[in-house]
Amino acid sequence: MFGNLFKKRRYIFEDESTMVFDMDQTAGRYYDEAMKKLEIEAYEGDEMIVNMGPQHPSTHGVLRLELVLDGELVKKVTPYLGYLHRNFEKHAENTSYNEVIPFCDRLDYLASMNQDLAYALAVERLIGLNELPEKVEYARVLCCELNRIASHLVAVGTFGLDVGAFTPFLWAFRDREKILDLLEWLSGARMLYNYIWVGGLARDLPGGWLAKVREFLDYFEPKMVEFNKVLTSNHIFIERTAHVGILDPDVAVSYGCTGPVLRGSGVKFDLRKDEPYSYYDKFEFDVPVGDGQFGPLGSVLDRFVVRIQEITESVKIIRQALDGIEPFTDQDVKQAIPRRIRPAADAEMYVRSETPRGELGFLIRSDGSDVPSRVKARSPCFSNINVVDDLSRGGLLADLVIIIGSLDIVLGCIDR
Amino acid sequence: MGNYFNNIFRAISTIAVGMAETWKAMFRPPITLQYPNERWQLPVNARGILFNNVDDCIGCFKCARICPVQCIYIDTVKALPDEDLGKASMGNPIRQHLVRFDIDMFKCCYCDFCTTVCPTECLYMTEEYENGVFSRENGIYHFSKYSPPEAMALRRREQEETMTKALAKEAALAAKKKAAAQKGKETAEA
Repeated sequence: MFGNLFKKRRYIFEDESTMVFDMDQTAGRYYDEAMKKLEIEAYEGDEMIVNMGPQHPSTHGVLRLELVLDGELVKKVTPYLGYLHRNFEKHAENTSYNEVIPFCDRLDYLASMNQDLAYALAVERLIGLNELPEKVEYARVLCCELNRIASHLVAVGTFGLDVGAFTPFLWAFRDREKILDLLEWLSGARMLYNYIWVGGLARDLPGGWLAKVREFLDYFEPKMVEFNKVLTSNHIFIERTAHVGILDPDVAVSYGCTGPVLRGSGVKFDLRKDEPYSYYDKFEFDVPVGDGQFGPLGSVLDRFVVRIQEITESVKIIRQALDGIEPFTDQDVKQAIPRRIRPAADAEMYVRSETPRGELGFLIRSDGSDVPSRVKARSPCFSNINVVDDLSRGGLLADLVIIIGSLDIVLGCIDR
Repeated sequence: MGNYFNNIFRAISTIAVGMAETWKAMFRPPITLQYPNERWQLPVNARGILFNNVDDCIGCFKCARICPVQCIYIDTVKALPDEDLGKASMGNPIRQHLVRFDIDMFKCCYCDFCTTVCPTECLYMTEEYENGVFSRENGIYHFSKYSPPEAMALRRREQEETMTKALAKEAALAAKKKAAAQKGKETAEA
């Protein structure tokens, strides 16, 4: 193992004379023992350890990857997490149930509505609040799906950037900006909404908002066709991505991958369908899965295409929700908000929901006071990033960049 | 070999399709704003810098208590019994002098909880969003009806009040003790 590295070492001196040390005779075995003690991986001699990140444009945040490279081939990838750790779980133990929601926003800052919904659902089930006004439920689905589109637009746009396509990135952000404007009108903030509260919504829907959403969808659908013409159907793009980062379905399941990463491998698992929460059982939509049309199943391209198709599905859901909310627009969105949240002592609830990145679960345990005794967040990105070593072993360094892009990680969600 | 040429053909044709789309985009008006010269139209309830209308503030501490990041600092001085501080515009009587109402906008997470709990609706978020400053002290916003010397005088008044009260209490206690001791003596004598 260490033999090649340590047994024979050639030193080149300043006067260009060389000398070979036989390390077996000198210190080799001590090195071997020391390395064994430290459990350092064995390297074969030509490898090089390179740090990628935490400040690197294609790690999508402050992720540090320690790469073992053999020339341009990736031998091993070790993700180091924790650069964006903000102590969510401890904060949650010191603030009341409602006040946790702004912290939930900051977990996955690209899809805050979905995080809020997951947390609100968990607390609602904890206190047994199961009947909510129809308007609240429809509005929640509406803003969650809008946010899902916005989040997927970032994912596909930055993925295009990773493979070198700049125009689709700008187009995706242009359309995302329109969604953020809508949500800003709704909640007052562009990204960290604090809009979905336990038992209701923070504010009523502004007048004319629903019409504006409809208007946006009419604008957005042709734009998506345009986007697909430029990027998704581009043959160079397909050839670049269709044979890279193959994630087998069983590997994906064993790593606990969820969301588009799992569905890209052909596993049809979507909590909106399989374990419907809120009003998701009232809508008709498909769960797109990867088909491996241009290469092996579970490639980087499949994950990308799943996201593109999910955007279309979300548009479908939003249209149905817009029709569904129509008869209930007079309802008060704050009527079911509990005045005081005080679950029974030792009550415990785990609720999972489908965010754009996969299964987000909140485990909440109560000790009978106003403050949760424990809040644990099961982050989808945390499971998804662990698969990066499996995907990129034996590949090229340039492929690693698009593999990370296809996993669509948000470091706020990983580190919490 | 056929695959090779097929690949080339498909690459060129799909790029042509994409280029046609980008060519169309050339003739669309730009959507970017030249930021310092042009501004976005913010919605009505946009969440910007917090502002407190101190004339209406009753010093109820609700905002400070609900703040998830504890960025609101309030100190109040109780009004004297013969002092009339008037009423807030919503009709709530004001019973305290608000000597300090500071908001640390560096800490603020713009969650909008404080404005929803405010009973007099005096605390609200403005549409101002350009709050970059050059020093940390400038990020702390002070809201008060009183100038610093006035606030100081009020604080001192409260201090003196508590002092005199404490002294009076001590004196009363001492007197009680003395009386009890005397009584005990008397009973012992008797």
